[in-house]
Amino acid sequence: MELSAGIVTAAKYLAAGFAMGVGSIGAAYGEGQVASHALDGMARQPEMEPVLLRTMIIGQAITESTGIYSLIVAIMLLMVV
Amino acid sequence: MLEHLGEKLVFKFGESNVLGLDITTLIMSWAVMALIIAFAWWLRRGLDQDLEDKPSGRLIILEWIMDLLDEQFANAFENDTIKVELYSFISTLFIFITVSNWISIVPGFTSPTQDFNIPLSFALLVFLMSHYYGMRINGTGKYIKSFGKPYVFMAPINLISEVAKPLSHSFRLFGNVFGGAVLITVLTAKLIPILLPAFFQGFYGLFIGAIQALVFALLAVSYINVAVEG
Repeated sequence: MELSAGIVTAAKYLAAGFAMGVGSIGAAYGEGQVASHALDGMARQPEMEPVLLRTMIIGQAITESTGIYSLIVAIMLLMVV
Repeated sequence: MLEHLGEKLVFKFGESNVLGLDITTLIMSWAVMALIIAFAWWLRRGLDQDLEDKPSGRLIILEWIMDLLDEQFANAFENDTIKVELYSFISTLFIFITVSNWISIVPGFTSPTQDFNIPLSFALLVFLMSHYYGMRINGTGKYIKSFGKPYVFMAPINLISEVAKPLSHSFRLFGNVFGGAVLITVLTAKLIPILLPAFFQGFYGLFIGAIQALVFALLAVSYINVAVEG
C-alpha cells in the first residue's frame, strides 16, 4: 500500500470513529434528559403514566435521530468512501 | 462472514443500475407476511365457541393483542374521522414492522427492514397519507395556506421540514435495525462466537425491534395529526 492510500484509509477509520463517538454524546444526553423529566412527571402524577410513557418514547425517538444520522455517516465513511 | 458483509443478491433488469429486484428482501418480506397470515388464521380458527364456554387460549391471545393496540394507538389520534379510518393501517404497520424486526433472531433470516427501501416506502406512504388527510379534512386551499403559518415568508422552511419528515422517519428505523445487525455480525465474526451474540440478538432483535416498531407507528400517527390540525 502506498503512503497516500494508507493515509486515506487511516483518516477514514478515524473519521468514522469520531463521527460515531462524538455524534452520540448529544443524543445520549438528550435521551437521558427526556427520561429523567418523564420520570419526574410520573412520580408526581402516577395516573398520567401511559400518556407520559408514549410521549417520552416519541420524544426519545426524535432526539435519537441525530445519533442515527451519525451512524449513517459512519457507515457511509466505512463502506462507500 | 465479514467478506460478504453488505453484499446482496440482486436480480437486475438489463444493464442499468437503477432497476433491480432485491431477492433476499423480497423473500424475507414474503416470509413475514406468510407468518402473520398463518398466525391470524390460527387465531381465527380458535374463536368458534359458545358464549358460555370458558375463553380459549387463542381468544385470550387475541384480546391481549387488541388491548395492546387499543391502548397505544386508539387514543393517539386527535380526530375521530382519522381514528376510524386509520386505526387498522397504523396497527398493520406496527405488526408488520415488529414481526420483520423479530424475524432476524431466527438463524439464516434477515430483517426486511434492514434494506433501506422498505422503511423508505413505508415512510413515503405515511407522508402521502398525511397530506391526503390534511387536504381532505381541512379543504385543499386552507391546507396549502397552512404552510404560510406563522408568517408567509417562513413557507420555505415549512416545506423543507415537510421533506425532512419521511427521511428522518425512515432513517430512524433503518439505522436502528441495520446498526444492530452490523454489530451482531462483527461481534460474531471477530470477537466471541458463542453466548454473547445470542444476548445481543435478543436485545437488538426483540427489545429494540419492538420499541422501534412502536416508535415508527406512533410517529406516523403524530405526523398525520399535525397535517390534519393544519
